[in-house]
Amino acid sequence: METNPVQKGLAGMRMSNESFITLFMIGVLIALFGAACVVVPNFYLPQNMINLLTNNWYIIIVGIGVTFLLITGNFDMSVGGVIALTGVLSVYFCQGANVSRNELANGLGLPYGVAIALALLGAMSVGAINAFFIARLKVPSIIVTLGTMMLARGTAQVITRGAQRNTSLPDVFGVVGNMTIQGTSIKVSVLIMVALVAAAFVLEKLTVFGRRTYLIGANPEAARLSGIKVARHLTWLYILSALLAGITGILLASEFKAGVSSRATGYEFDALVISLLGGVSISGGFGSVLGMFVGAVILSVMTSSATGLLLSPDWQFTLKGVVTFLAILAQRYALDRRKG
Amino acid sequence: MGLTENVLEIRDLVKDFPSVRAVNNVSFNIRRNTVHCLVGENGAGKSTLIKILTGALQRTSGRILLNGEEYWARNPREAKEKGISTLFQELNVVDQLTVEENLTLGMEDTTFGFLRRTDKISRIVSVMNSLEPSIHPRQLVSTLSVAKKQIVEIAKAVASESDIIIMDEPTAALSEGEIARLFKIIKGLRERNVTVIYISHRLDEIFEIGDYVTVMRDGRHIDTKPLSEVKDRAELIKMMIGKTVFEQYTPKEGPCGEVVLRVRNLSTHKLRDISFDVHQGEIVGFYGLVGAGKTELARAIYGADPYEGEIWFRGRKLPPSTDRVIAAGLALVPEERRSQGLFSILTVRANVPVMNMKKVSRKGFISAAREREATRAFIDRLRIATSSTEKEAAKLSGGNQQKVVLSKCLFADADLLMLDEPTRGIDVGAKSEIYSIIREISAEGKSILIFSSELPEVINICDTIHLLYDGHLRETIRNGCEIDSERIIHIVTGGA
Repeated sequence: METNPVQKGLAGMRMSNESFITLFMIGVLIALFGAACVVVPNFYLPQNMINLLTNNWYIIIVGIGVTFLLITGNFDMSVGGVIALTGVLSVYFCQGANVSRNELANGLGLPYGVAIALALLGAMSVGAINAFFIARLKVPSIIVTLGTMMLARGTAQVITRGAQRNTSLPDVFGVVGNMTIQGTSIKVSVLIMVALVAAAFVLEKLTVFGRRTYLIGANPEAARLSGIKVARHLTWLYILSALLAGITGILLASEFKAGVSSRATGYEFDALVISLLGGVSISGGFGSVLGMFVGAVILSVMTSSATGLLLSPDWQFTLKGVVTFLAILAQRYALDRRKG
Repeated sequence: MGLTENVLEIRDLVKDFPSVRAVNNVSFNIRRNTVHCLVGENGAGKSTLIKILTGALQRTSGRILLNGEEYWARNPREAKEKGISTLFQELNVVDQLTVEENLTLGMEDTTFGFLRRTDKISRIVSVMNSLEPSIHPRQLVSTLSVAKKQIVEIAKAVASESDIIIMDEPTAALSEGEIARLFKIIKGLRERNVTVIYISHRLDEIFEIGDYVTVMRDGRHIDTKPLSEVKDRAELIKMMIGKTVFEQYTPKEGPCGEVVLRVRNLSTHKLRDISFDVHQGEIVGFYGLVGAGKTELARAIYGADPYEGEIWFRGRKLPPSTDRVIAAGLALVPEERRSQGLFSILTVRANVPVMNMKKVSRKGFISAAREREATRAFIDRLRIATSSTEKEAAKLSGGNQQKVVLSKCLFADADLLMLDEPTRGIDVGAKSEIYSIIREISAEGKSILIFSSELPEVINICDTIHLLYDGHLRETIRNGCEIDSERIIHIVTGGA
């Protein structure tokens, strides 16, 4: 077939596959939202729309780290465990010392700021363990992070005796997680999520650090031979991912004024699902934080329309699974068609 | 006896690739129960011919007769069923299984999907026992040496009653004792009614093991004769290289600059005590056949593999770490373009500046404009055929991909550029373009190391040529004076 110059010119201006997938998934989102508005009563109300964008804030924050790592071709399955661990640690560090005969009510009695800092340090040390095994010893990331997932949650269980700690906490502990922006019902946590997504977008698209993330995912061997310090880069990313999970853990612990060892069970899978929904490639080198955000909202639309339809929670999980499957199939199909 | 005298007859065989005729009207016979050697330089057409025999490639035209009957294999499995087995350089054994399981792999007898022990298994095992008694059938293959793994494969071919076993460089990874044992087995195969087609760059082996030899050059059949009628290595080499006309090499004007790279007593698992100097502006070639240690040398200098010995660059010792070697001013165009050089799913713009992001960024932030500008400059300078800077590198042709990798290294502003097989798998036009780029950057005063298994390539552009054989630096030749290509081939094929 002959291509005329006009077509060639257009070909040169074609958008990247990444923008294509993000736009495609925004299309899917709008279609799902439209359908939900028709079927589900009151779905179109502004308050509901705001909820859709905001009620998944904790998954989106950990999704940032998971997305960056997926782009390098690595998994982080430890984020759920890290959320639980950090929450429990922050509570334990903050609880008054020797105030009760109940051991679960006794903590270390540290000042709030110190407690938070130490808890985050605990989170980052899980990230450092991940990085050591994955980047230095070259153990497959899925194995390592499944291990640290259990290690982190296990430590949280030990500290809480398999339950939770929620007494003898200073009032300041519950402030940040329950604060809202004046005059609205939007939580500060959501604001933090938006700020982090914006920062991640800048980091990913505009910086050398972001570029290296893609290069490593696209071809780790070529990256190494091009002088990129692959191990060091992965180390930073795992620590970053654990830090984000730690921030989430502290916000959630503050919101409920409790450190619960079973908190965030399965969040690592939700974070993975929204990344994949957003077009991040499991083989690395492809995807974006913005796509992940769109994926999160799709998941949110699905969950809340299921609730709106009064579907029993038993069915919600199945529905989630089916939609995830269909969305990813549609994505692959669209991408393959585009190549031809 | 219903058996024909020739086990294999090849008639007017042709194989065309898009830009080149790799096998050109080749006809010859292979006699039954002999060891038939196939020799020729890289690119002579040996591999293509073998791939047609094993069903990995399909011929363009011509006939092949096996046992007097028309032979056509659509894939390696079919070739095996019809009686042609191959011992590839990359051995085809499953490390996690036992010897016995490997031997019977793909021909297990089963009842309702469960394995059944049959006579067939004990027969195969007995064949192996007679070849090499020291291998135990219940042993895990992963515990065997390369040499013994080969024997397992040979046993499998013999037991499946192959007429022909093709061996492609079987001694490349063997020690001398192992080679002797392999040769004993090969000689014994004649009595088992097996013909061996033996391919090797090591000419001494050919004289030791072969009954007949077929020489190929530039896709053509040059001659087939009994080895008893070949006088010596020199005669064989003459047939292999013919009267190759090389493009005119123009010696460098003026003396070379100071020494920039000094390598002393470099050894790795593959290299033995290599020392040499490289001057400023010099183009240095390392010529050797496959497995001579060229890539290992390039990777050691580049800090990609551990080594013993010392490497000095501009008076400073080079650290054994790639990122610091690059910072010191070296760059490598690696051998495997797709797996080691190119970020194929990313755009051309993302590929070009990789090795020197400082030039297109400020305080860690990338300037998209500067990046595009730099990429465009290289697209123009190297004439990279791409519709835009935003095209995925995977969508470019091989030659253009190589130019992208080259741009990446040039963008690093390295003072010493290493190129490992810089023109492998790219067409003639792109080849000569790459040569002229190499000359250009050498004229700018940069030093260049070229690692190549193509003799015309090194003779064309290199000022100094080092000959490698089996990890040793055998000889160093100044280009420009009368180059004796026969002698070069003599040395790199193991001659003293």
